[in-house]
Amino acid sequence: MTDTLEQIQSAVKIASFKSRGRSVEKRRAKNPNKPSAAWTTPSRIGTESGTALSIVLSTIGCAHARSDEGGCTMCSYLLDGSSRNPKSDELFNQFQDAMSKLEKESAPLTVKIYTSGSFLDTEEIPSDARNRILKEIADDDRIRKVVLESRPEYVQDSILADVRAILDDRIIEIGMGLESSSDVVRSLCINKNFDLKAFREAVEIGKKHNVGTRAYVLLKPPFLTERDALLDAQQTVRDAIDAGVSTISLNPVNVQSSTLVEKLWKKQRYRPPWLWSVVEVLRYAHDAAKDSANVVCDPAAAGKKRGTHNCGKCDSDFITAIRQFSLTSDVQVFDNLACDCKSLWKHTLSHEDLSLLVHR
Amino acid sequence: MTEFRVGRGHDGPARLGEYIMGTEVFETPLLAGPIFSHTKVLQYGTLGRDLSNSRPTIAALPFGMKPEEIDKAGLGDIDSVLLPSLISFSSLDDQASVLTLRHQLDTVDEIKETVDPSRLIVRIPENIDNDVFKSCINDFHSKGVRAAAFMFDGYLGSTDLDSIILRSNLPASWLALALGKIAPSTVPLLYYTGFDVIDTGYAYEAAATGVRLWRNDSEHIETGKQQRFCSCMHCESIAEAKHSEIVEILQNHNLDVYVSILSESVLAMKSGRLRWLVESMTHVSPNQASIQRQVDKQIYSFIEEFTPTTGADNVPLIGPESYNSPVVKRYRDFLAARYTPPEGKQIVLLLPCSAKKPYSDSKSHRRFLETIESALGRASGRVAQVILTSPLGIVPRELERIFPAASYDIPVTGDWDAEETSLGAEALITYLNKLDPSCTVVAHVSGGYLGIVKAAESRVSQSIIYTTPEASATSWESRQALQETLVDLKRVLQLKDTPPKHLEEIVRATADFQFGTGAGNILVPKNAKLGGKPYRQIVCRIDKEQICSFIADTGLLSLTLSGAKLIAPLNRYWVRLDAPIVKGGSIFAVGIKEADSSIRPGDEVIVLNNQDEVIAVGRSEMSGREMCELKRGRAVSVRHKVEV
Repeated sequence: MTDTLEQIQSAVKIASFKSRGRSVEKRRAKNPNKPSAAWTTPSRIGTESGTALSIVLSTIGCAHARSDEGGCTMCSYLLDGSSRNPKSDELFNQFQDAMSKLEKESAPLTVKIYTSGSFLDTEEIPSDARNRILKEIADDDRIRKVVLESRPEYVQDSILADVRAILDDRIIEIGMGLESSSDVVRSLCINKNFDLKAFREAVEIGKKHNVGTRAYVLLKPPFLTERDALLDAQQTVRDAIDAGVSTISLNPVNVQSSTLVEKLWKKQRYRPPWLWSVVEVLRYAHDAAKDSANVVCDPAAAGKKRGTHNCGKCDSDFITAIRQFSLTSDVQVFDNLACDCKSLWKHTLSHEDLSLLVHR
Repeated sequence: MTEFRVGRGHDGPARLGEYIMGTEVFETPLLAGPIFSHTKVLQYGTLGRDLSNSRPTIAALPFGMKPEEIDKAGLGDIDSVLLPSLISFSSLDDQASVLTLRHQLDTVDEIKETVDPSRLIVRIPENIDNDVFKSCINDFHSKGVRAAAFMFDGYLGSTDLDSIILRSNLPASWLALALGKIAPSTVPLLYYTGFDVIDTGYAYEAAATGVRLWRNDSEHIETGKQQRFCSCMHCESIAEAKHSEIVEILQNHNLDVYVSILSESVLAMKSGRLRWLVESMTHVSPNQASIQRQVDKQIYSFIEEFTPTTGADNVPLIGPESYNSPVVKRYRDFLAARYTPPEGKQIVLLLPCSAKKPYSDSKSHRRFLETIESALGRASGRVAQVILTSPLGIVPRELERIFPAASYDIPVTGDWDAEETSLGAEALITYLNKLDPSCTVVAHVSGGYLGIVKAAESRVSQSIIYTTPEASATSWESRQALQETLVDLKRVLQLKDTPPKHLEEIVRATADFQFGTGAGNILVPKNAKLGGKPYRQIVCRIDKEQICSFIADTGLLSLTLSGAKLIAPLNRYWVRLDAPIVKGGSIFAVGIKEADSSIRPGDEVIVLNNQDEVIAVGRSEMSGREMCELKRGRAVSVRHKVEV
């Protein structure tokens, strides 16, 4: 990178840090024995339908977001976490509390564990707590698939060896926020400081242990036009598939509180992506993945001002189609989507690019 | 090589020019848009993303595109190139703005082998102060870049205002582009403030949302709902059209509205009525009015700098937006700073203005003049006549033929608002303070004019006699009262016979007004001989040598070489050449070494050679700053020159 680009990156870092304000220190100490959130959704494992349990453990949250590095420009998930890091016992209690939601469910089940940070970061989740949780899963025959979430630097050979040993023959997937395969976009627009190489290495380590990887692909970080964002997401999908990931999860940016994105959004300098763009990327991803990877998307705040949205009239049709696609991988669900706002979206793609005026 | 040439003609910073891309010449002002559908629109698009064709285009470089990818992406040999930037990044702070400019500077160097810097266009960020902006532009200038694009969000708020203000700091030789959301009603203002290329992108955005644009309004088209009548060919079938067809119809209609308002603006500029057109758009919306007021307030000196000394035969001054228009405010400023009342006046007669200009040609003023003549006879030279008016304030009789006093036109109702009254009172106070405190002021005015005098009364030293506070100044009774007052004053003040010296007074006052204080006494000394008629031409000679002549049509003086030599020591309105003599009838900007920055288009200027000798006089075709900054174009039309 040139000097100027490095200075731009440093300006973004400072701005991202400033946008957090006192939000991180003002977090309350939550009940350490309860997870931040837990919910079940219908899901699919291979051709079978089943249920997925998503658990957000209440931890101190992402180290990157807590540091002077400012964290990612669009993310304040750590605000769901707690100001005090729970002890190993407490983390296990959180897990068990969430698992109670599966009492009445039958196989096949998927368990997804999120932490607003990295599940494999031992500072966030001590290894004894991690291993207890995984053992508990290993003991439940109904559970076929486990999804964990981590930044790539914690996806290490020894840790994956442990995880694989405990979970035995379960399907394992590690979700990693690749966000963008462009190092420039990832560093300048997102302030996520790892490079594509680190991600590729993590995917390789996963393969070695027969652990699949799920690439989170971000649609529309700040400082990109709608079309920049669309093209960047498509390129990222392409690169993630080439790296050998097992799942592409497309995440259209939503405006989270105390983030740089929110600051820009409040100044009318940011608009979340159009649902048209989401569908465009999903179509591309479906095509690019063939059958080598699964493509899913569960857009947060979709149809709302702070989330991916269209004109308001057609939003719910789009959201339904996107959910349907994630469950069935049937790209034809998009064929009947139509709305007058398509011409405005098309105009936005070209004119925002040219003028660099945010089209809202 | 791409080049922007500024052509002749001015009305404010608005200008004509040629944008030369290779062998293609585009006349400016010019519209730009995404689709090549109209010869009057320059096409633009993003390199490698939008359709490219064989026409010259403005191609935006996407952020992050590598220099080696540019050719592959299909950049045409003569396409202009918008430098890459990150959307919204400069909204972070002023440091971020500087970084976006620095990144563009880096890009200029990276791609200069592939793209000549003359083809590049800088994107101007938000959040940048004027001095930093100027120094950054200097950096680009030294690398050969000559075009800048400013962003408009269409709210007519601080973003749009900042863009206009920044543009005022651009060197005169640069091409200025306005990109973003620009409604047709904003086009005259942008042209007036010096933008050469204007984005029509909003025509397509509006069309996409079913909005039909009008000159100063817009309309949402819904099938089955009543629509405004439109005579354009595109709209013929709009009532029966389907949505997809409507979008296309509206694109075409909307684009034509831009073409139409731009051509209206250009013709208004050519006839000196662009300011009037801009003022007439004030009522489109409150935001339009406020941005225009802010423009007048914040970059008045920029707009004034490019406003010609003379203008249209008829200058309508209709509302408050005219009170500080450049020709009006400049008149008031010059009158306050440069004008000196004639000597020997003992009575100041304040009169109301007339609709007909110059005032002396009106029925009412002919009668006032008769009244003065019959009351004072050979002593009437002791009276200074001053006409009260809005928004010029006051016009001394000697200057009634000067621009815009001889050509302004205002709605006359007799009601003056507080600002008009205060402008008038200030002008009157400044004027009376230049006169002997023992003068007697006769206020032959009523209504709004009376308000001005009353507002000034406590701040002047002279005593004031009101002749007609209750009735119209033009009525027979009022004129009787004036006559009686003047007859009384002649007796009380023991006025000596002093025949009026109209010719001297006109030429002296005009000289001071035109060339600054002191010029009048130099050009018309006591021994000067004057001949001619105020309504035609007055010739001034010293020792049989012609010095200057007053031309009634313009209300201005033309100098001879002798006259120019006389006032050259005042060090005003000079143009210095890099040559010993003038060849030909025109002086071009390229040959000018330096010029007085107070020169405006249309001024009488004195041409000096490299030895500081007067070698010619003529009329300026551009402002002093342009003479210094531009490399081309006619700067002075020579009237007289030293023959070798």
